[in-house]
Amino acid sequence: MRFPIFQAIYKKEMIDLLRDRRTLISMVVVPLLVFPLLFRVAIALSSRIEEQSEAEARTLGIAARVSTPSLREALAKTGYPVFERPDLSSAVEKKSVAAAVEEIPGNPPTVQIYVDSSNPTSGAAADRVRLMLDVLKEQRIRESLRDSGVPLNVLTPFTVKRTNVAGARKMAGSVWGSMLGYLLLLLMFTGGMYPVIDMTAGEKERKTLEAFLASPATRQEIVVGKTLAAMTAIFLTAMLTLGSMVYWLKNTRLSSRSEELKHMMDTIPLDAGTIAMIAAILIPVSIFAASLMFTIALFARSFKEGQSYLTPLVLLVIFPALMGGLPGFGLTPALCLIPIFNASMMVRSVLLGDASMLNFGVTLAANLVYAGIAAVIATRMFERENVLFRT
Amino acid sequence: MIEVREISKTFHDSKRGTHSAVDRVSFEVHAGEVFGLLGPNGAGKTTTLRLLATLLKPTSGTAVLNGCDVNTAPAKVRAQIGFLSGDMGLYARLTPLEILDFFGRLNGIEAQRRAKRISELMTLLDMHEFAGVRTDKLSTGMKQKTAIARTMLHDPPILILDEPSSGLDVPTARTIESAIMEAKRSGKCIIYSTHVMEEAEYLCDRIGVIDGGRLKTTGTMQQLRDATGKHRLREIFLDLLGLPPDK
Repeated sequence: MRFPIFQAIYKKEMIDLLRDRRTLISMVVVPLLVFPLLFRVAIALSSRIEEQSEAEARTLGIAARVSTPSLREALAKTGYPVFERPDLSSAVEKKSVAAAVEEIPGNPPTVQIYVDSSNPTSGAAADRVRLMLDVLKEQRIRESLRDSGVPLNVLTPFTVKRTNVAGARKMAGSVWGSMLGYLLLLLMFTGGMYPVIDMTAGEKERKTLEAFLASPATRQEIVVGKTLAAMTAIFLTAMLTLGSMVYWLKNTRLSSRSEELKHMMDTIPLDAGTIAMIAAILIPVSIFAASLMFTIALFARSFKEGQSYLTPLVLLVIFPALMGGLPGFGLTPALCLIPIFNASMMVRSVLLGDASMLNFGVTLAANLVYAGIAAVIATRMFERENVLFRT
Repeated sequence: MIEVREISKTFHDSKRGTHSAVDRVSFEVHAGEVFGLLGPNGAGKTTTLRLLATLLKPTSGTAVLNGCDVNTAPAKVRAQIGFLSGDMGLYARLTPLEILDFFGRLNGIEAQRRAKRISELMTLLDMHEFAGVRTDKLSTGMKQKTAIARTMLHDPPILILDEPSSGLDVPTARTIESAIMEAKRSGKCIIYSTHVMEEAEYLCDRIGVIDGGRLKTTGTMQQLRDATGKHRLREIFLDLLGLPPDK
């Protein structure tokens, strides 16, 4: 292997990739703009839906058939206009009111709330009604106890207090760890797809491969130069995704009702050390992904064919990447041997701050071995005439 | 300079079964000689040239190019050859300058010598004007000049040209012809395939006709005329393939 040769190939592939619109879109635009924008739009949309539901509930009001004055008072405290309707259930169903309340006589009487759970406006109104009725119920109990001379503390014989020892950093790690590994791995494979197809099937389709193969570069040097370029593209996609996600998550304005989420965003545990560990996990995965996709795309005769060969692989990656982010799996050295799953799980562990050096080492070593095997297979395939000159 | 000895290539295909593309072909090409390989589509021309360029491995037999065997020293063979096909095979997103620099590096030409050689070729082929323009923005003629410069860059003693003028207009095809004649004068050994009989008649010192993977005959134009009793290469070609002459 001659360093200047594969360096020349690497440089040429990188120039070629960086001038390809499709590659730039999947490698740079998607992680930097499209994905964060979608995320931001989704959050903004959910906040807007919340606000709209509340506003709509105030406009529509609620229907009530209650005779007890205190119940009427409680309903008035919701801030919603209260109407009378002959058929309460139908009124909610037809959206003429947001929710409805009916007092059914008995001992004790029952207060029935009619809600259309498929409609966020109705859900919001019903929740508010329920809250006011609960306040009234507690008030009544307290009054009864006071009248009977029973001390109020009979209601609370003991207090249950739950203390979350995880702390804000760990909680943030738990939430973001579930999705970050999955998203990074998914975007790495989708981001690497176009560059890899371009340098394999694309070269065949554009008939540039023959002149390249007729040069003094060995097949091994060509494969190393090309897969290193693909690996760079894949790793860059991962790092850009990571960077843009951190930026957008920390700088996205949320409605007041999403305070908990906002607090979690502010405590995303992504310091330099954590990022370095995630990068170390992703480097062998990048080589593995590049070599694997390179091998598969080599069989394609055209860009289109390459896409149809690699799309199932990307879909296949989703499952282990998603599973690795799920809580409940205790990371063991044996589980660290499962490709993709191990990287997703290790990203989660690093964010949680509970990654053991043993598991980290096993994951790194396993992925390096898989990357090596995939690279050897890629080289072998590149030496096969029936693969290169498939007609 | 090129010695092809009983070279064969068999392909195995699930649809077509075993198919012999080149069958025990032997010929020689000397320095300063242009050898034309003619044949109908699917005759085995491209496969033969790919075998010589070490893009394919022979099933049996061998070829020795400038003392290097295609079976035992393919990388050394590739350093001795310049390969050009009708498709040109240029990187659309790279400029001619970048393409030449890339292939110069692959051929191990040291930086200073590479820059000098690229400049020489650009002057020779009048390429300076479009040297920094992306190849996908160039005309066919400009692309062809770039492809020729790439083939000649490392000054190889052997040129393998696979239908280099296929699909080109007359002025552009003439650029190729001039380049071939110039290379011949400088003592290079040239083998090329073509479908254009007039071009072959004008350029080639010797001609080989291949059909069904077998080399039917080789010889100078005069030898072919004597053997067939026909005058024009087109007539000779049809006669050798056993096809009726033009009416």
